[in-house]
Order: sequence, then structure tokens, then C-alpha cells
Amino acid sequence: MLAVECRDVWMIYKNFMEKGFVALSGVDVEIEEGELYGILGPNGAGKTTLISIMSTILVPTKGDVKVLGMDAFNETKKVRERINIASGIRLPWGMRVYECLKFYALCYGISDRRVIEKLLQDFELEKYRNVRFDELSAGNKQKLNLARAFINNPEVVFLDEPTANLDPDVAKRIREIILNIKKEKDVTIVLTTHNMKEAEMLCDRIAFMKNGKIVAEGSAEFLKRFVKSKEKIFVTLKNNNDKKALKLSHPYEIKDNKVVVYVESAEKSLAEVLFSIKSAGLEIESVKTEEITLEDVFVELAKSRQ
Amino acid sequence: MKTYLSSLRKAVNEVLAFSYRNYAVTKNEFYAIFEMLFWPVISMLTIGLLGQFLSLSSREIAFILIGVISLSVIQIVQIDVSYVVLLDMWSLSLKYTVVTPVPLYRMVIGAWFFGIFRGLISFVILVILSQKFFGFVLEIPLNAIFIFLTGIFLCSLLIGITNCTLILVFGRRAEIFAWTLTATIMIFCGIYYPVNILPEPFKTLGLLIPITHFLEYFRTFYGFEATWQPLISGFGEVFVYLLFLLILAEVSMKRARKNGLVMKLSG
Repeated sequence: MLAVECRDVWMIYKNFMEKGFVALSGVDVEIEEGELYGILGPNGAGKTTLISIMSTILVPTKGDVKVLGMDAFNETKKVRERINIASGIRLPWGMRVYECLKFYALCYGISDRRVIEKLLQDFELEKYRNVRFDELSAGNKQKLNLARAFINNPEVVFLDEPTANLDPDVAKRIREIILNIKKEKDVTIVLTTHNMKEAEMLCDRIAFMKNGKIVAEGSAEFLKRFVKSKEKIFVTLKNNNDKKALKLSHPYEIKDNKVVVYVESAEKSLAEVLFSIKSAGLEIESVKTEEITLEDVFVELAKSRQ
Repeated sequence: MKTYLSSLRKAVNEVLAFSYRNYAVTKNEFYAIFEMLFWPVISMLTIGLLGQFLSLSSREIAFILIGVISLSVIQIVQIDVSYVVLLDMWSLSLKYTVVTPVPLYRMVIGAWFFGIFRGLISFVILVILSQKFFGFVLEIPLNAIFIFLTGIFLCSLLIGITNCTLILVFGRRAEIFAWTLTATIMIFCGIYYPVNILPEPFKTLGLLIPITHFLEYFRTFYGFEATWQPLISGFGEVFVYLLFLLILAEVSMKRARKNGLVMKLSG
């Protein structure tokens, strides 16, 4: 069974007298049970809107959404009992960590203290149990929000940019926690991010969003195959000589004294690239090659869909 | 039977969640204690002293003091109900409340229960202080006090639901209603005077507000006359408005989920 299924989902934000803003236009998504599905895209691509619709917070202007086989908007209560979401690091500021978890536990009909104690332990929040939410660090706020998202033992969890604005070490720990939970509970996780490395590291499948549409979808490896170039050649030039004379047969970018050339095989094209650079009268300081990243795929996809 | 009991327990927990949240916030926030005592006591003292200065009789003082006590109690209880949306709006966390399976009516009832608790404390303190400073005697039967308070608490529930609905329709700018709606309504329902003295159409408007009838009911024990069957009118209006407002609140929530206001109120 599919964990989440979206068919031709449109979202147009419209209020009194306001001209509508199209946030999603005809999005189709199928997410398998037990999958860790990533939604990547720049700010304003529609990631948060899509995840909010999947989690029943928003009602789309048009389209069908099924979660765990149930209609998200006609069986909302049943769906909500089996899903949860963490989005941003804001929770009621007037409450302490334990109180906050107790409140949300009661919302799901749970009064067993052990559920809260287990979450405090799993998310390393035990020593902060009596600290007010507004006095927590950003990392601990995020941990608390994640703990809250798992309070009802959900079958599908939506995580909206779970590591945004966190220090690298805290972000790394959050990623480890997400992977541990995924392993332990076999839960379906849908996460949005604009961190390509995070998506590559965590997700089984990734969808690229741009201007309210999914422009590509697949595993990180599949998406890399999706674009022609497979490797990059980085050439650092000795001086800032005039680079206007440089002409290469492969796609390339010049930034300051660095040239990045996108090729199918670095091994095959390296000699040709270096010869062209030398022929243009430029002196080479160093050369290195690298496999293309998800970020490169995203940039190429974004260009091709414009 | 087991399934029924299990869903009943779940429903009770859902309601209690919102009583618990208001309790936790009241415990942690000084302003929540402050709003419960400071303004109610100030209002009661100033109005009581004004009554003394004007040499009002004890029943006239009782007439205006019950007005000021009711205003304070309603304000406290309705703000607890309004907290269902206000607390989330202030902390930009409305989406987490929306995504829970708790229906809106259970949220407001849970918050209302804690409001009743706070309102009762305020009522008792104000009555004791009124008695001490101005000789106000609560010389009415216990069951009548119970009926009066039930009416007043139900009216607070109506005002609280109205505030939640207004915020779900108009967003942050509607927060002002949570602080002003009670006082505005009280002008029309005879807070310090009988509604009969109001010019039309305000007199009719006053009679369409259930608080008017509960105040009239209470004042009958001090020798004042009610316009018409205060309890039937009061509880009848409460029932009709409650049904209407609960439907309206659900519709507003759905609308806020459609036009994205829920997200705006979530940061």
C-alpha cells in the first residue's frame, strides 16, 4: 500500500480581494510505505505547502490526497491519528519540555507517562524536562519538536527542514536520530530540505520541486544518471588573465581564477580540456576531478525547466 | 463495550489536554495570575467606592457590584477559551494543534473547564472583598448562585468561541476582540443599569444577549424585576448561539486551512 498518494494537487492561496498565488500546480506524488522520501527545492518552491497538504494541515484548491489509503480530507481525524509533522522550531512558549510533551500526548488520547519518558530519553531531553521551551537552545527545540512528532507512534511522519538553521554538529546529530528512528520503527518519513547532501545521505528517493511543480524524481543515483555530465574537472588558473579567449566543447563555468568543466568522463576528457585552456594562453596551477553532486543535478534541472 | 470505553477515555484525554495546557501556562506565566486578580479587584474597588460616594442603598450597590463581578468573571473565562487559538498564534505553533485529531469543540470545552476553575476563584475572591469593603451580601440560595454562574460561564464560552472564530477568519488583527469584546457586549446587557433604560434598538440588542437575562435573574433576588422569564430566555439563547457558533468555528477552521491562514498563524 502507498503511504502517501497525491493526484493533480493544486494550491492557490487566495484571500479577500487578493489576487491568487499559485503555490502548487498539478503535483503528483506516490510514496511507498517505509520509504524515506525527500522533497528538495529552493525557497518558495512549494515544499512546505505540499508537506502541509499531505499532513492535512492545509486543504488543496484541487486534487486528491490519500494517506495510508484514506482520503486525507474526508477521513481527516483517522488520518491524523496515524501521522504527525515537525516543521520549524516553534512550540507553545509558556510550557516546559515535559508539559509540552504531556499536552500533545493527551491530544492523541495518551496518558501513559512512560511514552513521554521514552521520548525524553530517545531525544536526549531528560535533563531539560523542566526547562521552558523559550529557554532551550535551537538544537534542543528541534529535538523537542521531533520528539513531539513521534508522540503518537505515527506510521507516516512529515519533517519540514529538520536541520535548517542548526549548527553542523547538531544537524548531524538530528540526522543520526532520524535514521535511528527510521531503522527502529520502520516508519515512512517524508522530509523537505534544501540541503542536497542531507537529502543524498538520508533519502531513498528524492523529488526536485521548482515553482510549485515536481521537475524530477528518483533515487540520488538515478537522478545523477538523469543528467548527461557525470564528473567535474576543477582547473585553478595561475593568474587572472583574460579568460574571454577560452572556448571549450563541454559545458563550463568560470569563477575568479577557477574553471569548472562538466564532462561525461574526466579520464577521457581531461587532456582535451587542459589543451584548450593552454591554447587560450592561460596558465594552470592545479587540476582535480570530482563526481557530480545532487546540487549539480538540481542546478542543471532548474536550468533545463526554465 | 471495551472499544466504547477506550474511545471515551481518548475523548476525555483530548478534552483534558486543553485544560492541562491552560493550567501549565497559568502556572508558568505571571500575567495569567495577574489578569485573574489585578483588574477584577481594581474594577470592583473603584465601582464600589463610586457607589459609596453616591450614597447608594445596599441593594443598589449589590446591583452594580454583581455587574462588575460578572464582567470580570466572564473576561477571565472567555480568555481561557480564546487561548485555544491565542496561545498557538502567539507562539506560531497553530499547525501542531491543527494536525492533532482533536475536534475544535473538544479543544474549546477543555480550555473552558480550566476557565471555569479560574473564574470561580475570581468570583469567590471578588464576593469576599465586596462583602468586606462594601457590605455586599450574597443573600440568594446556593442553587440560584449555581444557575447564575452556569449561565455566566456558558456566555463566556460563547464569547471565547467567537474570538477563536474571528482570529481564524481575520488572522492576527482580530486578537483585539479577545480584550475588548466582553466589555463591548456588557454595555448592551445592563452591566450597571437595567436594559430598559437603553434606547431602541440597543434595548432589543441587549435582550438578544444571554448575559442580560442572567444578570436580571440574579438581581431579582435583590428586589429588581426581570424583563421576561430570564432563565428560559438566557439558556434558550445560549443553546441556539452555541450550536451556531460551533458550526461557524468549524467552517472558519476549514476556511483557514483552505486559504493558508493556518500557515500564516504558524510562522
